[in-house]
Amino acid sequence: MFRYIVRRILLIIPTIFLALSFLFALFFVLPGDPATLMAGGANRIVDPGVVERINERYGLDDPLLVQFGDYWKRTLQWDLGESFQNRRSVNDILGDKAVNSVRLAIWATLIEVVFGISIGLLSAMRRYSISDKLTTVVTAVASAVPVFVLGFLLQYAFAVQPHKHGWPDWMRLRTQGIGPNTWTLFFIPTGQTWRYLVLPAVVLAAGSTALAARMTRGSMLEVLGADYMRTARAKGLDGHQAVWHHGLRNAMLPVVTLIGIDFGLVIGAAVLTEKTFSWPGLGSEIADSVISRDLPVTMGLTLVVVLAFTVVNLVVDVSYAWLDPRIRLGQDRNS
Amino acid sequence: MRRVGFGSGLVVGLVAVVLLATACGGSSGSAGDALVDLSTFIGGPAEHLDPALDTSTTGLVGALYDGLTDLDYSDPAHPLVKPLLAESFQANADASEWTFKIRKDMTFSNGEQIKPSSFVRAWERASDPDFAGNYSYLFNFIEGGKAKLDGAATSLAGVEGDDDSMTLRVKLSAPYSNFATVAGFQLFAPMPSAVDKLKDQADWENGLMIGNGPYKLASPRTDAEVVLIRNDKWAGDVNGNKWPDRVSKITFRVSADPDTAYNAFEAGEGDMTAIPPGRTKDAEKNYATTSHVDIAGVYYFAVNQEDPVVGGPKNVLLRRAISQAIDRGAINEAIYDGNRADATGVTPAGIPGHKPKLCTFCALDRAAAKLAFDQWKAAGNTLRTPLKIQFNAGAGHEELVQMIVDNLKAIGIEAEAESRPGETYFSEVAQGKCQICRSGWFADYPAYDNFMFDLFHSDSIGGNNEGRYHNAAFDGLVDEAKRTVDPARQAGLFQQAEELLLNTDMAAIPINFYKGGEVYNPKKIASLPIDGLGKVAWEQVKLRG
Repeated sequence: MFRYIVRRILLIIPTIFLALSFLFALFFVLPGDPATLMAGGANRIVDPGVVERINERYGLDDPLLVQFGDYWKRTLQWDLGESFQNRRSVNDILGDKAVNSVRLAIWATLIEVVFGISIGLLSAMRRYSISDKLTTVVTAVASAVPVFVLGFLLQYAFAVQPHKHGWPDWMRLRTQGIGPNTWTLFFIPTGQTWRYLVLPAVVLAAGSTALAARMTRGSMLEVLGADYMRTARAKGLDGHQAVWHHGLRNAMLPVVTLIGIDFGLVIGAAVLTEKTFSWPGLGSEIADSVISRDLPVTMGLTLVVVLAFTVVNLVVDVSYAWLDPRIRLGQDRNS
Repeated sequence: MRRVGFGSGLVVGLVAVVLLATACGGSSGSAGDALVDLSTFIGGPAEHLDPALDTSTTGLVGALYDGLTDLDYSDPAHPLVKPLLAESFQANADASEWTFKIRKDMTFSNGEQIKPSSFVRAWERASDPDFAGNYSYLFNFIEGGKAKLDGAATSLAGVEGDDDSMTLRVKLSAPYSNFATVAGFQLFAPMPSAVDKLKDQADWENGLMIGNGPYKLASPRTDAEVVLIRNDKWAGDVNGNKWPDRVSKITFRVSADPDTAYNAFEAGEGDMTAIPPGRTKDAEKNYATTSHVDIAGVYYFAVNQEDPVVGGPKNVLLRRAISQAIDRGAINEAIYDGNRADATGVTPAGIPGHKPKLCTFCALDRAAAKLAFDQWKAAGNTLRTPLKIQFNAGAGHEELVQMIVDNLKAIGIEAEAESRPGETYFSEVAQGKCQICRSGWFADYPAYDNFMFDLFHSDSIGGNNEGRYHNAAFDGLVDEAKRTVDPARQAGLFQQAEELLLNTDMAAIPINFYKGGEVYNPKKIASLPIDGLGKVAWEQVKLRG
């Protein structure tokens, strides 16, 4: 198991190098000269002198290989540079945004774990019941409705309408921003903050919760029909005991993978949810930086997202190996 | 059993968290003498707050910094340039040298006196090529400005500040009679001595920046909001009014887009926001808006004068036909919900010298358009391929351009819309790579030359003269107007130039003038004054109760 973990950790290094090198190359393929865009070129024709100064200031007129070398030299020293747009240190931007993203991701994943797995389990155990059919319909809808539509509808239902009908303030959820931003134990919102968190967390979790529920249901149904489950029941365990002791662990294998990937995804790719609720996270910042060709921000934030994703993947793989010993044994045998 | 225990524990934990959080909940929102604005930062947080770097069209920086002069919009149709931090200003005979006498009673919000050296400091800082922002090219107006920006000089040769006599003398690189107006632009605002202590000037706007306007920063900006509180050391506006009852605290909150900001406004999370596209009528019905206020901006199409089909003197009739075939009123209703004014020229109301109904061929007249098109064909011209109307994609212009294509078809002119990537659109247009090119312009400062010179003078070819219009007579009129100190004579010259541009050469096709676009809660805000540049005069906002 130890060798397996070490090998997986070592794989992170080339993964990050390749991912960021590819992104760096891609940046210069995009249409539009970064300096012109920085000078406001998406809205008006800019003064050539201003463009020239921006090119000089940020070394954008250097050969690409020189820029590439400089980038990695700085990155290895954890100097992520400063934003072309507002000249803030990318390390500072990263600190704020990453924390916000991780908090939102934790809550979205908690919702996914708690509701996705419970609903999936209930559906599987009461197969073809009304609640099972209802689950199938609701999860299909939740997966299909675009994030901004769902976000907009929930804002209207839980914030706009309550305000228009004069509901007391404490019954109204918030639509924009992060509020007073007060937390206990890193991720538990206190004071007013929970009212800002609920809607984005629910919207971000909606699609993945539906998917987790369907996957849990399918996986559980497969497990319930397996031979070892019949054996478990034959040796005297009642239905629930058999499910908890023998079924769940096996049924959770694909679900754990899904949840792990989802957690990695919602840290860096929750762009639509972050935009809809003005939640200042990594995803929307990366998207904005690409549009405005703010290379240091794009690269710095993506580096962290790739890091987070590879670490989450590692955790998933390790937990997978823990849940199913055949995986690590197979690896050890092959090595 | 252990895992079951974990599951139950998780549920219990979550319930406890929610209960705890609920118990902690209280009331919030803007209350009393405070205002929450959701219109300024739609789309993202403030790129810049430093007046040397900011390029936004919002009034936030104007609330933090006052300049040498300001516009008095008491009569919105005829704004007057008045001294603000200066007690007087004077130009020499040909407007090539300007003298500003600085008031002795003006201070920054930290109590430091504003002196001529405060301006010298600010201008040297803003023209430092290592720091200079996107508007720094305006220092080209000043003698030595170009050399400083190019790194060939270490200071602005034409600027001299004398703190003893409280006089700021500015020598220009060429005579310019509107310099007093430009001198009030935020780029030229004074800076306190605190900036001299900074290791990196970029840190100024990220900290507790000190200014001299009616408001000051309550705390350093964040990505979520900018909060201003009253600057009690402010000495008042151009008319000496200190607006003693001005709002005590303004929070500018970031929203992702106009629709989500409007949702937040409707949910009571803010007191004002921008009207989203197509919701003007809804906003006017349910709330109060600024949609009646004229804003100094124009939406127009530049026509490439070097294009053999539509450009040059031999195609004037075709351009006239195009302009007269466009149903501006229908476009305004269908696309802007009536929240624009049909253009009657290029220079909008609110710009000193503006002449109403200047353009002869800017109203819908299909018969005249058809006649002009027929005459153009009779002169031996033919349209072998459809005209191309280019626009920047993803910025909401598709529908408008399609309506124009349909308008042109109605009189027999074949045309097609051509969408171009927004990132490269304006650079391509600047290089002459377009035929009929969508464009728009908001005044940077309220001066007639900000339209005539910047958009149509031959010196601006390769820059904002997108149609590459070149007429020596037009250039001569604009140059003379820029030198002319007498306002009435200057206005007459600019108007002559614009008449030549539109009524003789038809070198551009104006579509509409902008209007105010804010919606606000009338139960909270009694009045929301917007100046002619579309900026909120924050110190003049009145709350109810």
